[in-house]
Amino acid sequence: MTWQVLLSTMLLQMKQSFVRPMFRFCLLANPVLNTILICEMFRSSGRTDFAAYAVLGAGLMGLWCCICFSSAGDLNRERYMGTLSLLFAVPAPVETVLWGKILGNTLLSLGTLLLAWLTAGVLYETWAIPARPGWLLLVLVITILCFLQVSVLTAWLLTLSRKTTLYMNCLELPVVFLCGFVVPVEELPAWLQAISNLLPPTWAVRLLRMAVAGVPDENAFWRCLGILAVLMLAAGLLSRRCGRAVDRRVRVLGNLEVC
Amino acid sequence: MEPVIEVRDLRRDYVTSKGLLRRKTQTVRAVDGVSFTVERGEIFGMLGQNGAGKTTTIKMLITLLAPTSGVCRVLGCDTFGQEKQIRPRINFIFGGEMGVYRRLSARDNLKYFGNLYGVPPRLRDERIEEILRLVDLEEAADRLAETYSKGMLQRLQIARGLINDPEIVFMDEPTVGLDPLGAHMLRDIIRRLRDAGKTVLLTTHYLPEAEELCDRMVILNRGKIAASGTPAQIRGAEETMEDAYLRLIREVEV
Repeated sequence: MTWQVLLSTMLLQMKQSFVRPMFRFCLLANPVLNTILICEMFRSSGRTDFAAYAVLGAGLMGLWCCICFSSAGDLNRERYMGTLSLLFAVPAPVETVLWGKILGNTLLSLGTLLLAWLTAGVLYETWAIPARPGWLLLVLVITILCFLQVSVLTAWLLTLSRKTTLYMNCLELPVVFLCGFVVPVEELPAWLQAISNLLPPTWAVRLLRMAVAGVPDENAFWRCLGILAVLMLAAGLLSRRCGRAVDRRVRVLGNLEVC
Repeated sequence: MEPVIEVRDLRRDYVTSKGLLRRKTQTVRAVDGVSFTVERGEIFGMLGQNGAGKTTTIKMLITLLAPTSGVCRVLGCDTFGQEKQIRPRINFIFGGEMGVYRRLSARDNLKYFGNLYGVPPRLRDERIEEILRLVDLEEAADRLAETYSKGMLQRLQIARGLINDPEIVFMDEPTVGLDPLGAHMLRDIIRRLRDAGKTVLLTTHYLPEAEELCDRMVILNRGKIAASGTPAQIRGAEETMEDAYLRLIREVEV
């Protein structure tokens, strides 16, 4: 039942997301515009890993924008359509439904990485060729899992409030900067770096850059992967606990519907 | 007879808070000490004005709301804490146009909810055809729900509520938004459910409908039970159910 629920929710989500103009903007226009913006910012920076920052930065920004706005926005839409409460009252675990929804959005949103790569290549002749294609493939799968996990945790917390739209707008940019999508985390103030290093996407982004730009010390890659695995495990446990608590809390508060 | 719904001294409070610095909390008691039982195979009615506590009671019974206190059991299980045992065996239909995915067709909506209820694919598809015929949505089955009229959306809701062949169906004002033909169709569905041995808990404002369909009923007023019994017992010497209902409410209000 779990796989059937996961797959059918994922397909339903893809169908519903793609017909929305806002999602299409985030998916198609946003990565192109972001790539142009970041390429212009980094062109004269003299950084050798320019391609890794421009393409990955724009692609990841688009990916996060799609996940954040659609996943959080979907909760709001479900609340207004009266379907959110139904999802909490059916036999299928609501956690599986959330994973399915976010998986659907994330898989669709992966197109942003491809679009950013094409934009940088066509407009700036910067074809980012991965130094370690095998690593890139591995890290892409882990990155998807990492984004899924963060999004599910966020979705649980957003379920508690009816002000989802407000929170989703507050979430987008801090994550972009804190997780080093565009600006290296090392450029941030030390106290912010401490927060950054606790967030799993920061390490996923580091790994992606290593796979694209290459790394002199191979051990650094595996060390980074180990830290990400530990953080993802912790986030997974937190998400499960949070899910159980929210599932009970929303039924006590009775706030799954619009007043 | 076997009781499938047991409600004893059930209470539900809604607590709301306002203000940032001087936070004020306000508690509204929506259900206040309600008790009743429903036997298997019965059609049980809950009547009452807006705000009487009917929807809140139904939401507690379908495991969507936690009771503040009291006993709330369905099929022998507590609705808060043992919901996993209850959910596959019940379903619910709310009045109005909410509760369906507008950007999906009726068939896709039913397939999806069938999956959420763990109905095996072959059985699900057979059941979908049967239910679509039952609610007269066969021809519009592959059109997006956003193109449906109010009545069609309501019929889709009814179809969704039957997708898992539930033992108990909770219906909260299911005829809201239905034209006379649609309402007649729903009454037929309710009778068929009774003939199939299902239990139906129904709330409605339409008193003749309640009198026609229900084996027993309770009348709620401001979260409390004002009267209970068979329709004949509640009507008593009054000429119509409406007269009896108005008399009861006035008596309680006084």
